[in-house]
Amino acid sequence: MLDTDLVDFAVDHARTKGATYAEARYEHQDQESFILKNGVLDALYVSEDRGIGVRVLVKGALGFAATNLLTKPEVRATVDAALKAARTSKRKTPITFAQEQAYVRNWSVPEGKRLASVPTEARIEEIRDVDRAVMALGYKIPARYFFLGSSRIEKDFANSDGSRIRSYSPRLRFFYYLTVVHGSSVEQTHRNYGWSGGWEGIASWDLTNRVLEEAQSMQRSLVEGKKSPEGKMDLVVGPQVSGIAAHESCGHPTEADRVLGREASQAGKSFITPDMIGVKIGSDLVNVVDDPTLEHAIAHYLYDDEGVKARRRYLYKGGLVNEFLHNRETAAAMGTRSNGASRAVNYNVEAIVRMANTFVEPRDHALEELLEDVRYGVYMKSFMEWNIDDKRFNAKYAGREAYLIENGELKHPVRNTVIELTTPAFWSAVDAVGKDLDFEGGYCGKSDPGQALDASLGGPSMRLRNVYLR
Amino acid sequence: MEDIASQIVKRAVALGCQDAVADVVRNRSYQIRFARNEPVISNRWREATASVFLVVDKRVLASDIKDLSKVDETVERLVKIAKRSQENPDYAGIARGPFTYPRIRPDPRILALEDGSDHVAAAVNGALEMGATETAGSFWKYEEEHALETSNGAHGTDRRASLYLSIRALVSPEASGHGIAAATRLSRFEAGKAGRKAGRVAALVKSPKAGTAGTYDVVFDPLIFGSLTDQVAGRLSAWAVLAGLSPFGKKVGKRVASDAVTIHEDGSADSIARRRFDDEGVPTRRKPLVQKGILKTYLHNTTTAKRFGTRTTGNAGLVTPTHHAVFVKPGDWSKDEVFQEVRDGLWLTNTWYTRYQSYVTGDLSTIPRDGIFRIRKGEVVEAWKDVRVTDNLIRLMKNVVALSDRTEQMMWWGEVSVPNFVPYALIKGVRITRSAE
Repeated sequence: MLDTDLVDFAVDHARTKGATYAEARYEHQDQESFILKNGVLDALYVSEDRGIGVRVLVKGALGFAATNLLTKPEVRATVDAALKAARTSKRKTPITFAQEQAYVRNWSVPEGKRLASVPTEARIEEIRDVDRAVMALGYKIPARYFFLGSSRIEKDFANSDGSRIRSYSPRLRFFYYLTVVHGSSVEQTHRNYGWSGGWEGIASWDLTNRVLEEAQSMQRSLVEGKKSPEGKMDLVVGPQVSGIAAHESCGHPTEADRVLGREASQAGKSFITPDMIGVKIGSDLVNVVDDPTLEHAIAHYLYDDEGVKARRRYLYKGGLVNEFLHNRETAAAMGTRSNGASRAVNYNVEAIVRMANTFVEPRDHALEELLEDVRYGVYMKSFMEWNIDDKRFNAKYAGREAYLIENGELKHPVRNTVIELTTPAFWSAVDAVGKDLDFEGGYCGKSDPGQALDASLGGPSMRLRNVYLR
Repeated sequence: MEDIASQIVKRAVALGCQDAVADVVRNRSYQIRFARNEPVISNRWREATASVFLVVDKRVLASDIKDLSKVDETVERLVKIAKRSQENPDYAGIARGPFTYPRIRPDPRILALEDGSDHVAAAVNGALEMGATETAGSFWKYEEEHALETSNGAHGTDRRASLYLSIRALVSPEASGHGIAAATRLSRFEAGKAGRKAGRVAALVKSPKAGTAGTYDVVFDPLIFGSLTDQVAGRLSAWAVLAGLSPFGKKVGKRVASDAVTIHEDGSADSIARRRFDDEGVPTRRKPLVQKGILKTYLHNTTTAKRFGTRTTGNAGLVTPTHHAVFVKPGDWSKDEVFQEVRDGLWLTNTWYTRYQSYVTGDLSTIPRDGIFRIRKGEVVEAWKDVRVTDNLIRLMKNVVALSDRTEQMMWWGEVSVPNFVPYALIKGVRITRSAE
């Protein structure tokens, strides 16, 4: 029996055995990655991973089971295990799923140069070039760590509603850490880029120039950097900062499962409650979007892992809470429809509500226009340290590359600028939004077992008025 | 399983590998997730995989083979790929066996456990009895079998089984507490106690007010102190030191904590991460990481050990050394004495999102969650919310002044990534910040 035929078999067997709803998701993931650490290739990591996850709804209780032993008897045993899990769950309040259209579709991400055709040697050499260029700067760089990885993900999904969706998604990811030292001072950075598509993604990143610019800004910060001013002042943030704020302070608190308490023990809850649609969080200029259909973004998909068609979601619109991210379970609980936000990191975990590509929608200001109106403040182009509480209300972003602004002009670098603001304080202070939309890659962590999932975070530069910095 | 491990290693060696390791794992774990006081999903796994490490002319490759029906052809493919890689001049081989391992028998009552619903109910009811109105969490039955074979003569099997439960209890949206239960014996698994702890803390959080930034003496509950000690042990991986991801570079033999702090790492001791051998087949063992505040060693595999002129500590991961379980030596203070020592300070019960501004300096912040309390002379005087610890890992450890006389096994969702056996800790002069509105 072909692996993909096992998907149909699993759904049929589950229905025969009494499931009111059943779905099976086959995934085949080919991965290849390496880390170049201080010029040494520690190891190449290669894996070919495949298996089937089966989720069933029985008398209002959910059961999930997964196997990588792809034989008919084993898949039958896995379905039986899922049914047993559901039947023994002792749930009193029945879980229901929102009714959604069934689709039979094949979709794939265009792959200009097939990742499978790129030899290992070429991948390594690409990153060695970056490493050589950084070392040629002549700075004191005691630690450098470059990761390059590719994955090719094939999925075959079927459910008892009649959906059958096959997909192919090739992805590239590059991230790095750099440590630059000058005298007794140390500066560290971490940047992360993602791409859905073929090897052409690596050229689109312009890695060598990006990493060199980062290293140069680190050196300048060490040599010329001064203490960041403290107090209330204007702040201009770069796309990396807008992106993390979009993800942490908008995307996470609008995840419906978090709002409903399903993730309370791990990823936490939300300061946003189910009745807060339409409540003001930010200024009128703030539109934050989550869009899985964005081409080439690393979290690109057209149908989610419950077979629901993906679409753009306006989470904050005009500064108001506009929409939650839903799967079929949360949508039913809130009396609405799923908006296609259900994803799993692999076959062996349940799909839950996830962000995809989350970003602040750009407007029309050039960076220079954002700066020229600032009498005294800070331009925080990028950050290093960040965190936020489990209700997504208190965030901190500590600057990596930042500069003093005086009378609309950038002056010397300032070090370790700290934004520590509540979510409404951050978004309410936005008085101008730029047009320089840019994205970084990220891993979004959620669920138990933890699912570190591909995500991208983006935005343009933004100006915030009169916020407290230290 | 042993046959497959042996087959992988033999095939790799026949194809020209100088070193080969295969760890075949059979996973039969089981989980119940619950929220709003009832199960939301039950998960079961039926998986068999082989973690493989191959070295051809110092070209190192790691892989996970998921299709064990095609082992020979997969190994051939992997060796071909490895040959196209580049030399790792630092690679120094794998440990030379054979080794002998202690006999460890998992609790047959855990192996036989088919349904964890009663444990979930005990935890939930425990929290509700203490005043909680809402609970959420996970119950796990971990069950794995390992068969490891190396080309240097190590050969062993390891059957592991344990129970784990994590519960968060809420009285209101801003009043919560967290509890953990973990054991390798069913008779020692105290789900109800974890629920009561979570509920008790949640019930103490009455009308929390926004905290005030400043410097405070702070009692760290075992769960949040475990987060700090997990950071210490994790950043002591020699690989992290070499990658610039540790504040402990060039600090072996130097003070990194107060006299009160002694920390051991020990994968061989009873914990829910107990294992007979590391990923090179080296028997796990107890070793001091920090003794009376002085850093004693990094965690090593054979390659990093050679780089640092020492011997492996039995902490090999396939590529990077890692910690298995962490044991803080208890102090001689009772828990009450630890609290009473605080004239005017805080009690923090949990945290998450520990992030570094610089891994090299150890400057970090971490954001407490669940109960945050202002305490005076050991008594809770009010509950706080919305504060952050903004400090430095080594500075925090140097300011530990008191440890309670009993430790608890803590592990929680990445923040405490492996079991940490930790007491209550009093840390002086902790820097607290909060968000501006």
